[in-house]
Amino acid sequence: MSEIILSLNKATKLYAGVPAIDGVDFELRRGEIHALVGENGAGKSTLTKVMAGVVTLTSGTMQVNGADVMPKTPLEARHLGIAMVFQENSLVPTMTVAQNLFLGQERFYNRLRGIYISAQQFLQSLNFDVTPTATVGLLGAAKKQMVEIARAVLHDAKVIIFDEPTATLTPEEKKYFFDLVRDLKRRGVSIVFISHALEEALILADRITILRDGKHVVTDEAAKFDRARIVQAMVGRDLSNTLYGARKTTMRTAGARVLTVQNLKMAPMVKNNSLSVFAGQITGVFGLVGAGRTETFKVVAGVLKRDFFHGGEVLLHGKPVRYRVPAPAVRAGIAYVTEDRKVEGFFETMSVARNIYLGLLAKLPGGRFFLSRREADNVGSKWVERLKVRTTGNSMKVVELSGGNQQKVVIAKSLVQEPDLIIFDEPTRGVDVGAIVEIHELIQRLADEGKAVVVISSYLPEIMALSDGILVSRQGKVVEEFSAFEATEEKIMYAAVH
Amino acid sequence: MGIKNLGQQGIVFAVFTALFPIFAIALPGFLTTANMLTLLQNVAVLGILGLAMAIVVIGRGIDISLIAALAVPPGLVLQMVQDGHSLSISLAAAFALSIAFGLVNGWLIAYAEVPSLFTTLASGLFLAGLGQAALFKLDVVQWSPGLDGFEKLGQGNLLGIPMPVVMFALACIAVAFLLRQTRLGAYIYAIGDNPNGARVTGIPTRPIIVLQYVMAALIGCAAGLIMASSVNSMPTRIFNSTLIYDVILVVVLGGIGLSGGRGGVVNVIIGTLLIGTMLNGMTIMDVSYSGQNLVKGVVLLIAVITDSFLNPRNEETAQQGDI
Repeated sequence: MSEIILSLNKATKLYAGVPAIDGVDFELRRGEIHALVGENGAGKSTLTKVMAGVVTLTSGTMQVNGADVMPKTPLEARHLGIAMVFQENSLVPTMTVAQNLFLGQERFYNRLRGIYISAQQFLQSLNFDVTPTATVGLLGAAKKQMVEIARAVLHDAKVIIFDEPTATLTPEEKKYFFDLVRDLKRRGVSIVFISHALEEALILADRITILRDGKHVVTDEAAKFDRARIVQAMVGRDLSNTLYGARKTTMRTAGARVLTVQNLKMAPMVKNNSLSVFAGQITGVFGLVGAGRTETFKVVAGVLKRDFFHGGEVLLHGKPVRYRVPAPAVRAGIAYVTEDRKVEGFFETMSVARNIYLGLLAKLPGGRFFLSRREADNVGSKWVERLKVRTTGNSMKVVELSGGNQQKVVIAKSLVQEPDLIIFDEPTRGVDVGAIVEIHELIQRLADEGKAVVVISSYLPEIMALSDGILVSRQGKVVEEFSAFEATEEKIMYAAVH
Repeated sequence: MGIKNLGQQGIVFAVFTALFPIFAIALPGFLTTANMLTLLQNVAVLGILGLAMAIVVIGRGIDISLIAALAVPPGLVLQMVQDGHSLSISLAAAFALSIAFGLVNGWLIAYAEVPSLFTTLASGLFLAGLGQAALFKLDVVQWSPGLDGFEKLGQGNLLGIPMPVVMFALACIAVAFLLRQTRLGAYIYAIGDNPNGARVTGIPTRPIIVLQYVMAALIGCAAGLIMASSVNSMPTRIFNSTLIYDVILVVVLGGIGLSGGRGGVVNVIIGTLLIGTMLNGMTIMDVSYSGQNLVKGVVLLIAVITDSFLNPRNEETAQQGDI
């Protein structure tokens, strides 16, 4: 069983002279589940992309079954028996499951009934509960992933690589995914998966490899790791006590009621939702994917594009408000920090300072017509310093920053607008461990300053570590409220899934 | 600065600086003051249209109706003066028509969320058709005595520089100022870079988009007035010409990405200079009209291919979805 199926020796990949991975040695045994763990930018993705033929090594060698190989395209890697399941999945949304499975392998006469039948048989043999005639775009994240996995197996993959496979899955789906991966292992397939959720790596993996700054830190049996040891290896310093710190021992008292949502309806995601948010407190909103958390707060901030508002009331400082676009909400002091910073967060062609300055401009009431370079620089430097954004200068572009620093810029762009109500939607998604701590400190500080803060998160330890009050959302409405003292992970999860 | 950092505008400028001396040496009569002034005069209108297009393209749109905006409102001025109205009333009517046209374009694109390509394609056809069916008596609207003095806009000169060139320079300064120094300009770049991001930041994206198309229509109208006054008529059939491709060529060749948020007035000037030099050189060499189109097509392809070699798409930019 311990035969080496794939190995990398002194693997180095330079991007514009900067190493993304630097002399990494990696070995994958036949039929093992191998977790890759590391901060953002540690080189996990690059390492897996090398194996999958998406990028080619600058130096170093790769062996599959003992033979030297160097796949230059994903197709070459596939012929070697290596398949990769990407984070943004690579299925064609308008085609059916069966069409996707056989994509690229169609015969000249592509009989639909034929591929439906073979797809059905194949999916049944894998024990996958997916209808072959279903359109992929209409499937949930978990089912899409099943199709991706099925395709990899169909291509006779001996090595399947997953990039953050559980990021978009609900807990039940995760469980199912774990069973699936174990089943693949029994079939003799080797699995490599990247994960930010350390518990998953500990539960699922046989061995864990930890990378830091493009270098290999340690590879060992999963049984020999625990949370603290992994975190320490990832960041090179002992962080486990400050990150998602020990249980809260103090709780802020509630100030004035800033936001009240009463019986908000919005088809199909929000059903009769009611909640309150208070100044000087962090209100944590927990719920599984599809619980209508994000949608509720997007209605509050005017971010939702189409008007699906079907009734109910939003009160800001006791006055009823209804924002159809974000601009008036911003002027009224509501800031929404997006969960998807690439799509609705930062401006990628612009400098850090210009990004933050645009936030200021959008808030300035009417008057300002001319731009002031000095003001932009001042505002930029002030916030870069305040949020400890690591840049090489104000003129550095946001795309060149790491995920954590990009997130800080997006936050700064909102904070420069001096909001009273700040809604953080998944504030630490795709953010490295060091930056998570800094962002959490910042969120705490905002509440201490008397702002009303909302943190929407799917990650329980984050909710537990930050919140003074916790709202649990399920199927479109808040179903349970806890104070920080009475909440336990079990109680919250129980409310969220039932 | 290596060739990697040169970018498309750098390459195009390098081609221009290489082409210019070659023409100057090889073509007799190219490097004369008279020819230089002709060259500039010929491309001035194209350059002004390029500025209008640039404003829209930087905001991640495109305005195919620009030629209709160039032909119809100025044609209306000539027609109304011919019919005995005063010049000022005619001009007011033309500007009102331009503004209304820009508003309709902008409203359809920003509020009804129809893609800009289709909106302006249809609205351009509509405006050109309206002009020919309802406003003009002849395809070519002729100059009339009531316009005397107005032809200086196209034929006069300031300190020996032809008026169209002066107008192009003024338009460049005005648009550069708008894009670089004002809040509106910053908003246009922000919308072009990331429309959803701009919206969430609290930028009033929809009014800004409407404003872009109104400005484009007004600049188009100004370009049309300059054109009409330099040839003493408005050939409204220009709508059927390939002029719109030349405008897009200037903008894209100059390096204003169609995905928005990139480039500026400098790019329009560089694009205009290269196209102007090429067209002028080819005219001196007596290349036929279709031959010129062939050359233009090849040049655009080379520019686009070179750019994608020097600035390869990575994961970040690939997700942008160019037009």
